[in-house]
Amino acid sequence: MTAAPGVAGFGTTSITVLRTARDSAWMRPQMVFGYVIVAFWLVLVVGVQWIAPFDPLASVGQRLSPPSAAHWFGTDALGRDVLSRALHGARYSLPIALVSIVASVVVGSVLGAVAGYVGGIVDAIIMRIADITMSFPAILLAMAVAAALGPGLNNAGIAIIIVWWPIYARLMRGQVLSIKEREHVESAVAIGASRSRILFRHIIPHASTPTLVNATMDLGQIVLLVASLSFLGLGALPPTPEWGAMITEGAKNFYQPWIAAAPGLAIVSIVLAINFIGDGLRDALDVKARR
Amino acid sequence: MNPAPQRTRRRWRAVATAAVAIALALTGCAGGVPAATSGDRPLVIARAMDLTTLDPQRGYCDTCQILYTALYERLVTIDPADTSTVLPGLAETWEANADNTEFTFHLDTDAVFSDGSPVEAADVKWSFERLVNLQGSASFLLAGLAGIETPDAETVVVSFENPNSAFLAIVAAPYLGIVNSEVAEENGASAAEDAATTDDAEGWFLANSAGSGPYTLTDYTSGESVELAANEEYWGDEPQFTSVEMKEVTDSSSQLQQLQQGDVDIAMQISPDALAQLEGNEAISTEIVDSFNYTYIALLPAAPGGEPLQDVRVREAIRMAVDYDGLVDTLVAGYGKLQGSPIPNGFEGSEEVALPSYDLDGAKALLEEAGYADGFTLSATYPKLVAYGVDLDLQMQAVQQDLAEIGVTLELNPTDFSQWASTMGGEGTPVTAVYFAPDHTDSSQYVQYFGNIDQGGLVNPWTGSVSQEQTDLLAEALSQSGDERVATYEALAESMAADTFVLPMVNPQLILAYASDISGVAYSPCCNLEIGQLGLSG
Repeated sequence: MTAAPGVAGFGTTSITVLRTARDSAWMRPQMVFGYVIVAFWLVLVVGVQWIAPFDPLASVGQRLSPPSAAHWFGTDALGRDVLSRALHGARYSLPIALVSIVASVVVGSVLGAVAGYVGGIVDAIIMRIADITMSFPAILLAMAVAAALGPGLNNAGIAIIIVWWPIYARLMRGQVLSIKEREHVESAVAIGASRSRILFRHIIPHASTPTLVNATMDLGQIVLLVASLSFLGLGALPPTPEWGAMITEGAKNFYQPWIAAAPGLAIVSIVLAINFIGDGLRDALDVKARR
Repeated sequence: MNPAPQRTRRRWRAVATAAVAIALALTGCAGGVPAATSGDRPLVIARAMDLTTLDPQRGYCDTCQILYTALYERLVTIDPADTSTVLPGLAETWEANADNTEFTFHLDTDAVFSDGSPVEAADVKWSFERLVNLQGSASFLLAGLAGIETPDAETVVVSFENPNSAFLAIVAAPYLGIVNSEVAEENGASAAEDAATTDDAEGWFLANSAGSGPYTLTDYTSGESVELAANEEYWGDEPQFTSVEMKEVTDSSSQLQQLQQGDVDIAMQISPDALAQLEGNEAISTEIVDSFNYTYIALLPAAPGGEPLQDVRVREAIRMAVDYDGLVDTLVAGYGKLQGSPIPNGFEGSEEVALPSYDLDGAKALLEEAGYADGFTLSATYPKLVAYGVDLDLQMQAVQQDLAEIGVTLELNPTDFSQWASTMGGEGTPVTAVYFAPDHTDSSQYVQYFGNIDQGGLVNPWTGSVSQEQTDLLAEALSQSGDERVATYEALAESMAADTFVLPMVNPQLILAYASDISGVAYSPCCNLEIGQLGLSG
């Protein structure tokens, strides 16, 4: 395979990534918007107990009261402050989403790299398992796994990892297949480097950029998936102020729309922000979306 | 509010009726236009169903009460206007001996099952024996049964070991419906003593019924719907609807929307918070009636993790830590009452029992005395359901908040109804939340189901003890009548309240919400809703 001019850009090391970070491509308006929103939620993950106006688990007002100066997003059926609950929700949704995506990337990349580099029967077995997993609609498989494991946020995280790793396995395998034909790899083989050294030092670092971009883009989808599982009662258990679970409560109180509004806005803002960053990243690194 | 959908539906119905008339004319059908006003309009009921089986002698649930009443008939029924009056059902007349140990029923010779065969004494004997021998959740209703004699095909004599003055009320319970024994036996049912292991008709009953009620079962899809059709052989007044569908609609707001849109005729579990949405809507009738229903939490010390609950002071502390008035506001927007013991307001024995009261300091002091000043953790598995307008999830979150005040951490584990049922039949849970609607009009059911007596029920298998006092008092009550009996039930209510295994939370008023042209929607103290009484008005 001949390297296209653009592809040379991602045979890079982290130093070049840092250098490109100063380019204006990394500071486009939509990306800056994304950074601000994500930073806002990250600050909340760390310090929500000092920021949220009320205890998310305590009844602090008249139940089902509409938005007011005291309760910006009203109160729910137990008189809990909806805004405080939505802000606390970041503590559940975001860490679970991050951990799931990192674990999926690690598991998927390692298996994909091994499959691509070793080839043969190992490749066939790993990739067939990946194909089978991917042949199920993600939400259905995640629901089935979560239902089998029992409800709870940790189990929802495990379900997501099981559903999501094949995406990175495929991505990494494709990268490894092309990179292992490159001259620097052949040189490494020629000077007698071991197979694992070649894979982990000479191939994976060069193949990681598309994975990074994809993982960033997928983070938004994972936040949605966590919320979906909780919405269906397979994720967070009451009274956890998880966004999906809060929307279920909102659906039960159909004529008090503010209960679902705050968690809904939270999900929209974080998913939108992550997608903006992911889009920008892809353009900046000139990686074609690969799946 | 928005009568438009209703109007559309009326017009549609007129079109449908006309179409039927034309079709009948074209085919030259001799019967002519059916006399019933319903035409081909189906009745659609929206309900979150708590069904695990449709076998009339296996099930025990609120939805079972409704369906069994429509499919099977009992020997006697209760007058809805005056619940102390017993009316004829399959039995035309009946008499009891002086000490209430022997009851003789004379069957109505007109009564036939849906296959046209007559209802005979053997069917009654078979049905009652099957209920006992299957050892299901409702078997306790016939506790103490000594024997059933059938001197001829129209006479049944039921005798008990001890006096059972409650039996005429119990016979009106939906679980004592009479099944066509021949048909059922052909399909694997058994009433023999080993029926619990040899009977395999449960699957057959999921798709078929074999009763004499106004409707027959045509289809059941779990989690979706139950479909009934009018029983063509029905020996009483002709059923008003040719078909009835009970549709699974889990939450109150969806039920409300479907009722407003005219998709359903009756919404069974509208929450009081939604009432305001129905005001001024002439197409929908709403009534708020007192009920004997209630929701409760059960504290079950013998379940794994329930060790702290073995101490009655701990249970008492939990009882005192719940803000009951707050619950009535939170759960049913004030449309409800408190209840002192498992015997609900309005039943014999309920009147003098003190209502539970909220006493945070008292609760803390009791816990400290019991050695749990630092609190402890309990897990609570309960069905995710809205019962009588009470969202159990909300109830448990409110109780969780209240218990946190005394240092008791409640871990909530809401599950589907069938999963909850299998938990209760298996490993158990130290805390659960359930609901109860009466099966008949006698207080004995509450002692049998919630008392700490050795007769199964919900509580006794999980207490690790048996109360001799309650056992004796129940026997006494069943041999008494009048004021004496009321006094004994009062003593039983006090005793069960002091046990604190069952903490009633809310006795909600019931919201009946239905399309205005449906008649006969009423709360029945034995059977929840009697589909056979429903019709079209005007």
